[in-house]
Amino acid sequence: MAFAAEHDVPLPYMQRTRDYYLRLGYGAYRWAHFEDVPFAPLRTSLARARVALVTTAAPFQPGVGDQGPGALYNAAAKFYKVYSEPTDTVPDLRISHVGYDRVHTTAEDPNTWLPLTQLQHAVKAGRIGALTPRLHGAPTNRSQRVTMDTDAPELLRRCRDDGADVALLVPS
Amino acid sequence: MSLVARHLEADGLPTVIMGCAKDIVEYCGVPRFLFSDFPLGNSAGRPNDVESQTATLELAFRVLETAPAARTTVQSPLRWRDDASWKLDFSDLSKLTPEEIAERRQEFEVVKAVAKAKREDA
Repeated sequence: MAFAAEHDVPLPYMQRTRDYYLRLGYGAYRWAHFEDVPFAPLRTSLARARVALVTTAAPFQPGVGDQGPGALYNAAAKFYKVYSEPTDTVPDLRISHVGYDRVHTTAEDPNTWLPLTQLQHAVKAGRIGALTPRLHGAPTNRSQRVTMDTDAPELLRRCRDDGADVALLVPS
Repeated sequence: MSLVARHLEADGLPTVIMGCAKDIVEYCGVPRFLFSDFPLGNSAGRPNDVESQTATLELAFRVLETAPAARTTVQSPLRWRDDASWKLDFSDLSKLTPEEIAERRQEFEVVKAVAKAKREDA
């Protein structure tokens, strides 16, 4: 059995991003980093659990430029407040406002970043008990302080209001 | 999203993250993480490949059900493609001339200004 290529490892995003912005003339970004990690055991079977979906995708906003497949990074399409959308349909969400890999993917299939249709199938199949009536959007705020002090508590409140037993978090 | 997972979990709500940036998520430290070794933007499976999307979600469920402790990472066995050379391209500066680097900086300044205006408006 041959060895894999040396570069065939999980991509070192922090190093690449740091090098990239240093070369452009900016200082080093400091990623969030903690010693302790909380852990809440699952207290019910998934077949009985109500699942909340949290996404970083953005609702489509008319008039702020191209947000479609392959669109350039579109900061005007960003959002800065937690939002919620119903889960019994599939809302029009986009990811032109984040730094996904525009060289190797085009965001043409929303199911690659929003597993809502798959979750609806999982409910029908009895794999999970239910979806919460709403999914929730997490702003991709560059301020870690705002994420921790404002957005995360708001997302928790909405998940609790919806009676969630577990949360599936999908960054795009 | 890692910060959100930590906040929900600290309040007793079990979470799992589906993601593609292994180093960033693990550096933060999260309870449960299903890692797909795919280009960013494909946390839930390959495009136009329902089978891979179904398998990816099922793995996330299994991580929720079976993680024995915090910082549990499971790597999906799915491959983006056989050839891993796509991994060399992300933020690769070696192919850029000094002029192109200056252009990138200018573009970034524009993007930053747009985001700042939007944030202040919100």
